[in-house]
Amino acid sequence: MPENEFFAAMGDKIGKTIEKKLRYYFEVKNEDLHDVVNYIFNTMGCRLSTATATELYGGIEVLYHFSHDATGTYYCPRIIMKDKKKPQMKSITPIVRGAEWIEREMAEMFGIDFDGHPRKEPLLTRNNPTVEKLPLRLRRIS
Amino acid sequence: MSMVNNIPVGPFHPLLEEAEYFNIVVDGETVVDIDMDIGWMHRGHEFISEQKSFTQSIYLVERICGICSTSHPIACVHAFEDVDNIEIPERAAYIRSLVGELERIHSHLLWFGLAGHFIGYDTVWMWAWKYREPILQMFEIISGNRNHYGMMRIGGVAKDVDPARIPEMMKILDMVDDKMNMIIKVAKDDPVLRSRLKGVGVLTHKDAVELCAVGPTARASGVNTDVRQDEPNDAYGWVKFDVPVLPNGDVYDKFVVRALEIIESTKICRQCLEKLATVKGPILNNVKHISAGEGLGRYEAPRGEVFHFIKTDGTNRPIRHKVRAPSFNNIPTYVASCKGIPLADALITLASVDPCYCCTERSLKVVDINRDPFQIDLLKLSREKTQQIRSKIHE
Amino acid sequence: MGWYNKRLAKSIWVFHVSASPCNNCDIEILDLLTPRYDLERFGIKLVGSIRHADVLLVSGIFNQKVGPRVQQIYQQAPKPCFVVGIGTCPASGCCFKDSYNISKNIKDIIPINLYIPGCPPKPENMIAGIVKLVEVLNA
Repeated sequence: MPENEFFAAMGDKIGKTIEKKLRYYFEVKNEDLHDVVNYIFNTMGCRLSTATATELYGGIEVLYHFSHDATGTYYCPRIIMKDKKKPQMKSITPIVRGAEWIEREMAEMFGIDFDGHPRKEPLLTRNNPTVEKLPLRLRRIS
Repeated sequence: MSMVNNIPVGPFHPLLEEAEYFNIVVDGETVVDIDMDIGWMHRGHEFISEQKSFTQSIYLVERICGICSTSHPIACVHAFEDVDNIEIPERAAYIRSLVGELERIHSHLLWFGLAGHFIGYDTVWMWAWKYREPILQMFEIISGNRNHYGMMRIGGVAKDVDPARIPEMMKILDMVDDKMNMIIKVAKDDPVLRSRLKGVGVLTHKDAVELCAVGPTARASGVNTDVRQDEPNDAYGWVKFDVPVLPNGDVYDKFVVRALEIIESTKICRQCLEKLATVKGPILNNVKHISAGEGLGRYEAPRGEVFHFIKTDGTNRPIRHKVRAPSFNNIPTYVASCKGIPLADALITLASVDPCYCCTERSLKVVDINRDPFQIDLLKLSREKTQQIRSKIHE
Repeated sequence: MGWYNKRLAKSIWVFHVSASPCNNCDIEILDLLTPRYDLERFGIKLVGSIRHADVLLVSGIFNQKVGPRVQQIYQQAPKPCFVVGIGTCPASGCCFKDSYNISKNIKDIIPINLYIPGCPPKPENMIAGIVKLVEVLNA
C-alpha cells in the first residue's frame, strides 16, 4: 500500500494526521516541507491539484492537495504559520513547476511570502491599481 | 539579424481566473516566449461564497463558467458531501452523471466549432454548432433551461427526468453519434486539416506531468488521468466506458481525444437513460446539517479536473471555499507548447487547450513594441496559411 | 438623428464586448449566428472591429480591471452608437454584487440603452430585444 510506505518513510516528519475515506490531512513543519513534497511528487508520482490558504484565529494555514491518481487518494500536507503579520514559508515551485501560479495566487490573496519563488508578482490583480489589497483577509483584519 | 518583438494579444477574454492578455515575444515569425496577464474576469467567487449559505453557494459556483456550468456545482456538492460522507439516492446519481456527460458533449462540440473557425474552416463551425443545438434541447427537456441548469443539491438533484421523454432523448443521442463519426472521418481524411494540426504545438509527456496538466490536454500527451475512473463517484462506478489516451501531444491528438470522448459520453448517457427508465425512488436525501470539518470534491469537467475544497465550522456558511478550475492548470502549458512554433500556428495552439475563446478572437492583433504601423490580424494570418495549404494540395 | 437612425435600422452591425461575464451570454450571442437562429437573415452582423459597429452588446459585471478598457472601446465607436446590456449582470450585478472587484457604477463607464435580462437570456429573447431597438430607431 503506497500510503503505508509513505508514512513509514517520512516517520516523524509527519505531525497530527486526520484520516478520512481516501483523504489524508497531515501537518508538516516548514523545514521538512521540501522532503515530503519531493517524496510525494517524484517518488510516488502524485499530481498537484492545487493548494488552499485559509486564515484561522491562530494563524494562516496552507494546505497542498496532491492526488494519487492510481488509487484516487489525496495527500494534503498542511503548513501552519503563526505570524499573521508577515507569514513566510518555503516555496515548492523549484520541485513542482505547476505550483507557480497557485503560489502566486495565494501570495496576493493572503500576503504570504513564498521563499524561493521564481516570480513574486500578483497574478489576478496585476495591473489593477484600484482593487483592495489582500482581498480574502479583509473582513478579518478590520 | 534577429529582431525580437513583443506582441500584445488581448485583453478581452471571458472566464474566471483565466488568461486573457498574452504578450507573445517573437523573433521573426517564431514564438520565443509567452507571458500572460490574467485577472480581467476575476470576480471574487471565493470571497462571495464565504458570505453565502451552502444552498446559495451552489447557485453561485454555477456562474463561474457558463460552458462547464454543471461541473462546478457537481464538484461543489461532492465537497459538501465529503465533509459528512452523505450518500445520494441511486436515481439521483444517474441523473447527475447524465447531465454531466451531456455537458461534456455540448462543450466539446463548441470547441470543435471554434477550432474550425480559428483555422479558417467556418463550415466546421456551423456544422458543430448546428449539432450542438439538439443537446441544448435535451437540457431544456431535463432542467427547463438551455444553460445554467440548477440541477444540483446537497444529497441529490433538484429535478426528475420524465420517463415518457426518454425515447425522444435516445433519438437525439443517435443523431449525435452519427454526426460525430462523420466529423472524425472528415478530420482523418482531410489533408488540409491534417497538415494544419499534425505535429503543431506539441506538449511533451514530461512537461504535462511537471506542469500538472489535467483533462484532454494531459490525456493527449499520454498522461492517463481521469477523475471518472480514478475516483468513481455518482454513477460512474456502475456504467461502462473507456478513457481515450493518445501519445503525441499535438493539436491533432487533442482534437481526436475530444472526438472520441464525445462518443464515450453518448455511451454513458445511453446507459444512464436506460437505467432511469427502470430505477425508481427518491431523487433527494434531506440533509439538515453539515458538521464542522474539511471536504474535498472533484469532478471531471470537459476541460479537466474541477476541484473544490470546503472548510466548515458547523454553521450554514463555509469559512473557506477554494475553487480550482481546470484551465488554471492547463494555461501554463502554453509556454511549453508554443516555444519555437510559427506565429500562424500559435492561435490554434492557444485554442487547443480549450480555454473558452468564444468571443475574443476578434480582438487579437499584432503590434510592434515601438508602435510601428505594423499590425497583423492573427486570425487572418492563421486563415491565410490554411488557404495556402489548400491551394497547394489542389494543384 | 432621425434620418440616420432609420438607415441604421436596416442593417445593424453589432460588436460584442465581454466585460467579466460567466461566458454564458457570450456563447448564446454566438449561437445567434449559427444555423438554428441565423441572425444574418435580418441584416444583423457580428463585426470584428469596434469602428464598424452600430450597436455594442455588453455582458458581464465590469470588474475594476476591465472597466476602463470598456470605456476606451465605447469612445472609439462611431456615434451614434447604441449599447445593449445582455443578461442580468449589467442590469443588476446578479450574484456578484457583493464582490470586492466590481465597478460600483456601470452608468459612469458606459450608457446602456437597452437591457435584455435573463441568466442567460434565451436567443429568442435577444432577437425580441434587438427588434425592439429597431422599432425605436424607425420611429
